Amino acid sequence: MNRRFFLKSGSITLASVGMSLSAPSFLERLVLGNETKTGKRKTLIAIFQRGAVDGLNVVVPFGESNYYELRPSIAIPKPASGNADAAINLDGFFGLHPAINSFKPLWDSKRLAIIHASGSPDNTRSHFDAQDYMESATPGLKSTSDGWLNRYLQSKKDPESSLFRAVSITKTMPRVLQGRESAVAMSSISEFQIRAGKSSENLQNGFEAIYARENDSLAGMGRETFEAVNFLKKANPAQYQPENGAAYPRNPFGNSLLQIAQLIKAGVGLEIAFTDIGGWDTHVNQGNSRGQLGNLLQQFSTGIAALYQDLGPRMDDVVVLTMSEFGRTVRENGNRGTDHGHANAMFVMGNSVRGGKVYGQWPGLKSDQLYEGRDLALTTDFRDVFAEIATRHLGSKDAKSIFPGYSLNTSKFKGFLG
Amino acid sequence: MKKFVAFMLLVALTAAQPLVSAQKRTKSQNLTEEQRIVHVLNRLGFGARPGDVERVKSMGLENYINQQLNPEKITDTVADNKVSDLNVLNMSTAELYEKFPQPGQLLRQLQARGMLPADLAEARENRVKGGANTSSAEMPKNDSMPTQEMSPDAARNNQNPQPPGNPLENEKYRKVLQDYYRENGLQQPQRIMAELHASRILRAVYSERQLQEVMVDFWTNHFNVFAGKGADRWLLPSYDRDTIRPNAMSKFSTLLQATAQSPAMLFYLDNFQSVSPNANANRGRGPLQRLLAERAPQPQQQRRGINENYARELMELHTLGVDGGYTQKDVQEVARCFTGWTIFQPRGGAAAVNAMRSGEGARRNAGTFFFNQRVHDDGEKTVLGHKIPAGGGIKDGLTVLDILAHHPSTAKFIATKLVRHFVSDNPPQALVDRVAATYTKSDGDIREMLKTIFFSKEFNSNEAYRAKIKRPFELVVSAIRTLGAETNGGPQTHQWIARMGEPLYGFQTPNGYSDAAESWVNTGGLLERMNFGLALANNRIPGTKVSLVKLNGDQSKVMDDYLKTVLAGEISSATRETLLKQLEPADPVTKVVGLILGTPEFQRQ
Repeated sequence: MNRRFFLKSGSITLASVGMSLSAPSFLERLVLGNETKTGKRKTLIAIFQRGAVDGLNVVVPFGESNYYELRPSIAIPKPASGNADAAINLDGFFGLHPAINSFKPLWDSKRLAIIHASGSPDNTRSHFDAQDYMESATPGLKSTSDGWLNRYLQSKKDPESSLFRAVSITKTMPRVLQGRESAVAMSSISEFQIRAGKSSENLQNGFEAIYARENDSLAGMGRETFEAVNFLKKANPAQYQPENGAAYPRNPFGNSLLQIAQLIKAGVGLEIAFTDIGGWDTHVNQGNSRGQLGNLLQQFSTGIAALYQDLGPRMDDVVVLTMSEFGRTVRENGNRGTDHGHANAMFVMGNSVRGGKVYGQWPGLKSDQLYEGRDLALTTDFRDVFAEIATRHLGSKDAKSIFPGYSLNTSKFKGFLG
Repeated sequence: MKKFVAFMLLVALTAAQPLVSAQKRTKSQNLTEEQRIVHVLNRLGFGARPGDVERVKSMGLENYINQQLNPEKITDTVADNKVSDLNVLNMSTAELYEKFPQPGQLLRQLQARGMLPADLAEARENRVKGGANTSSAEMPKNDSMPTQEMSPDAARNNQNPQPPGNPLENEKYRKVLQDYYRENGLQQPQRIMAELHASRILRAVYSERQLQEVMVDFWTNHFNVFAGKGADRWLLPSYDRDTIRPNAMSKFSTLLQATAQSPAMLFYLDNFQSVSPNANANRGRGPLQRLLAERAPQPQQQRRGINENYARELMELHTLGVDGGYTQKDVQEVARCFTGWTIFQPRGGAAAVNAMRSGEGARRNAGTFFFNQRVHDDGEKTVLGHKIPAGGGIKDGLTVLDILAHHPSTAKFIATKLVRHFVSDNPPQALVDRVAATYTKSDGDIREMLKTIFFSKEFNSNEAYRAKIKRPFELVVSAIRTLGAETNGGPQTHQWIARMGEPLYGFQTPNGYSDAAESWVNTGGLLERMNFGLALANNRIPGTKVSLVKLNGDQSKVMDDYLKTVLAGEISSATRETLLKQLEPADPVTKVVGLILGTPEFQRQ
């Protein structure tokens, strides 16, 4: 019996709530949610950099002379010892932006893989369309109603599924998780309850009873809400202390990642975590090693590095994936910024990742190699990256159903997961 | 078992379908007169106040609708008085620059003129030194928001981004800065948005021109501008007052041109710095250039290229719609047409410092639209198949707006959005077609389109009744109205709207807040809605005051009274019974009201 059926059906929800409150064995099974019959539960943490990050200044092709010719004021200097503003050498051709030096140890220990020149084959340069396509994973098709992470949930029914199988640390449910399978969106764990002082419990009971009575989908959402609230209370995340000396940056993004680590460690059965970080739309005054992009990259990378450290050996079962809707023009624009482009760079991190390598074919930056004469060309479809993670990390047996209309073929997988 | 699973699957699928009206009704049933009134008060306004239903009944529903369609004929003394203390609303952009300077920018300008007081200099220095932020070299720049964009996360949480620097010294710096502002009659720029938010809440709650406020909200989302982007917070009061409000029920083309020439939009979508790459040769040092050069040199303000951002969103989001039939080439050509559409002193220059030094503040036209012929691409262009001859100057952009406003895709796109807003998340195609036809016939007259909607059978149908989920702004305002509560529209009230996911002027990307239920109904959002109702009923929102009267009678009488007030008595008997069971005889009336505001029924309109 799939537990979701209990939650979705109006008539027997009371029984379900009653059970979760009175049957410790059921709860225990959820609390031990990281163990499943087939071994440890795998988790994906997907991070969306909204606004289109300039991948060419994140994973810098310093071996390309055209890179420096086309970006006179914003290029990241070639690696040079003693120059803190220079790119961090990865493989003699690519280097990391110096603001993400906290990723260097992950690269050195082969836990960080990069897929360059990747993204959506659609040529839209609209943020909204491109984000839509990346989240629905059906580039060019706007009518897809659900997101690919939700279709992953649909593709792999989990009889022991937790309410927290999919959680988005955002105010609203992102497109990527919208769909038939339920997911939880919250901005912070501690606020996720009825907040009315001494009367909280009494009032929560009142709301639960009201929402249990009705049959429309708003009421269904209410029932799920209270199941989630009740379960989180048991997990007692208020006592959370990061481990291994991890220090999350004190900004909204660092805080979101901290919440995700809390949920993973609380054993709530988290399989898909999502959060986002915005501000990457650097049309104007982007900066080079320092400045607007550098500051954002620092927030971004120190947050992820802290998460990695905090989770410690749990990273054996966790993969972190970063994505952004498209790249930016190879040539800097008239405002020392960059405009909407095409292919971009993605990061994949985890102890099970075959890291220390930049995957994907490099298309080059000579003018005849550019896409539409201006942008980094695409050599890896993002669906091949998503599908490899869904198949080889999350264990989906039916990745084709996650990517409708795409001819999926494991031979196109890059091999960053074994 | 198999059969049972199949049955459960059916149940599950049914429950997961898009949100539809709570009460299933057959088509043959028509709305009662009272339901029609409630419907109109919900959709043409922000819900009924006590007594509104009776008032509309006595004047006649059709009269009420026609009155609402002509807001200029409605006196609005109460709302006008409520916002009369909000000085920001009456100030020009130049005055705002003068009185609400950005601290980082102000300090740099004071320093440049040798006017930076020693204590302020020291506090700033200590704050930067030994800070947690490793790129401290960027600090002064980072401190000056006008060239930086606020992170959307900060906007999402409705707070300013954490200032970089040494946290221990932040407090001291803040205090010294505050003192300096007070002594010089200045205020922090956050105050601008706080007053603008308050004005939107106050007018939505108190205005008799309810439809006007609904349309202001609608167009503010359609022509979205994000307050966190650079100078936009100084430009938004004018945007609301001079661009959106006067045109909210005029012709679409008038509104479109007003937004195209609004400094807020020019800044938000970067057009203010879009210049022809070939224009440099023409750039002499005429009087205008000398005027511009008065500003402190800021290299990032140099204007050196074309920017397509506005051109693309103008067609995708403001007029044609994404499938409206334009190409990347059209985007480039439209961008060429709008080169030179810019803002005079977009960041106000050194308004505050000049005012303190010589009594001469910002130039009166600081932060206003102007056309800079010198940076305009004056060559021939082709837009959507129309040839725009060379030498048109400012007329190029006006021609583009005219082409777009008269394009059939625009009629369809605007009609669809209006019907989605007023009727249903899934706009009935037949009505969309009729509204689009009205657009074409009436030259885009917004009032005429609204009339087509309000007097349509689709609008007045059971399918449309309570079929829309209130957005957070609508929920907060309607809750205040239904209880006859008083509010000052202050930050704590706006904070609730933000917490539920809709901070005003806080949507970062140009598409604006969604008008469909699935974006608003999720577990976290629903919980905040219940928490809001409890906070309101218990008077735990500073600045907003509810006076709940516990009428004589037992709990069921008290409850029924409030069910009548808040939900027009429309609640299933099962839910009513459940509600009643929650109430002990000694329970306060706040509990009754808190629970009712949190019901699924009150989330709908």
